[in-house]
Amino acid sequence: MRTAYDEATTVEQLHHPDTARAAFSRVIEHYSSQLYWHIRRLVINHDDANDVLQNTFIKAWTNIDSFRGDAQLMTWLYKIATNESLTLLNRNRVRMGISLDEEGNETLVADLESDRWFNGDEVQLRLQQAIATLPEKQRVVFNMRYYDEMKYEQMSEILGTSVGALKASYHHAVKKIEAFFEQAD
Amino acid sequence: MEQEKSQILSKAGKEPGFAVPEGYFETLTATIMERLPDVEITDIEAKPTLWLRVRPYVYLAAMFAGVWCMMTLFNHLNSPMSNMQRVAEIAGGIADEHNADEFMLSCGLDAYDILTYEDSVYGYLIDSIAGN
Repeated sequence: MRTAYDEATTVEQLHHPDTARAAFSRVIEHYSSQLYWHIRRLVINHDDANDVLQNTFIKAWTNIDSFRGDAQLMTWLYKIATNESLTLLNRNRVRMGISLDEEGNETLVADLESDRWFNGDEVQLRLQQAIATLPEKQRVVFNMRYYDEMKYEQMSEILGTSVGALKASYHHAVKKIEAFFEQAD
Repeated sequence: MEQEKSQILSKAGKEPGFAVPEGYFETLTATIMERLPDVEITDIEAKPTLWLRVRPYVYLAAMFAGVWCMMTLFNHLNSPMSNMQRVAEIAGGIADEHNADEFMLSCGLDAYDILTYEDSVYGYLIDSIAGN
């Protein structure tokens, strides 16, 4: 029978050589799904999301000594996952010769319709296309707020941006998405 | 307002429409655990606390501060009087009638001499006090 996940105990065990590995296994078990969907919504492609997720956990594991429990484990992991996702996206943009200053990243969803790991309907597809037109920061904020329903305070900790700026980003993102739909209709 | 949920977003719902290969999450933990490198975990109890880490520096800083205070005090006690202090002392000496009387007696001066040679009297007093 699987025991309930206890964050305080797990964090403590992460800092003892004898229990660290088993504790980290529980961390993966507990957070992998949540982090996967966060990464997937940013990078869109399943294989990329899988790579980023694994790299996120490997990075967390190799830097576990630097995690002192000052922040929540989830916040720390989200921060790593977000950075890893954006690094991958920027690397892909450079590889494709797309300027990093260019707003939006429509190439992300160019093949989404034919992607075998996309089974959304027409509206969901168009929403993903609309989200892809957003500047990077607004896209991250929109996904975290809309899909993860994350509190602004926690987002602020992860992204290092003020709550006010995050609210403004989300507001602009929603307006742009609505404009995208209106334009398409 | 955020609360007034966009109609478009309401229609789209909270599902992004992504899928994963079957059984993906079931094997994920094991897959990642296999890829984890060996890392050296420092036992949290063996790790020095922040105070233990900064203590030598605090002691060193306190020692330097103590030495600096002692040197400042020593310099203050041995430093020659400043000009301002000297002028104030001279002015006090001149104002003291006892000094003036003593000067007049020793030099055999009277009030007329003093009026006549007021400058030289003050000059003498200043010189004699400064010489002490």
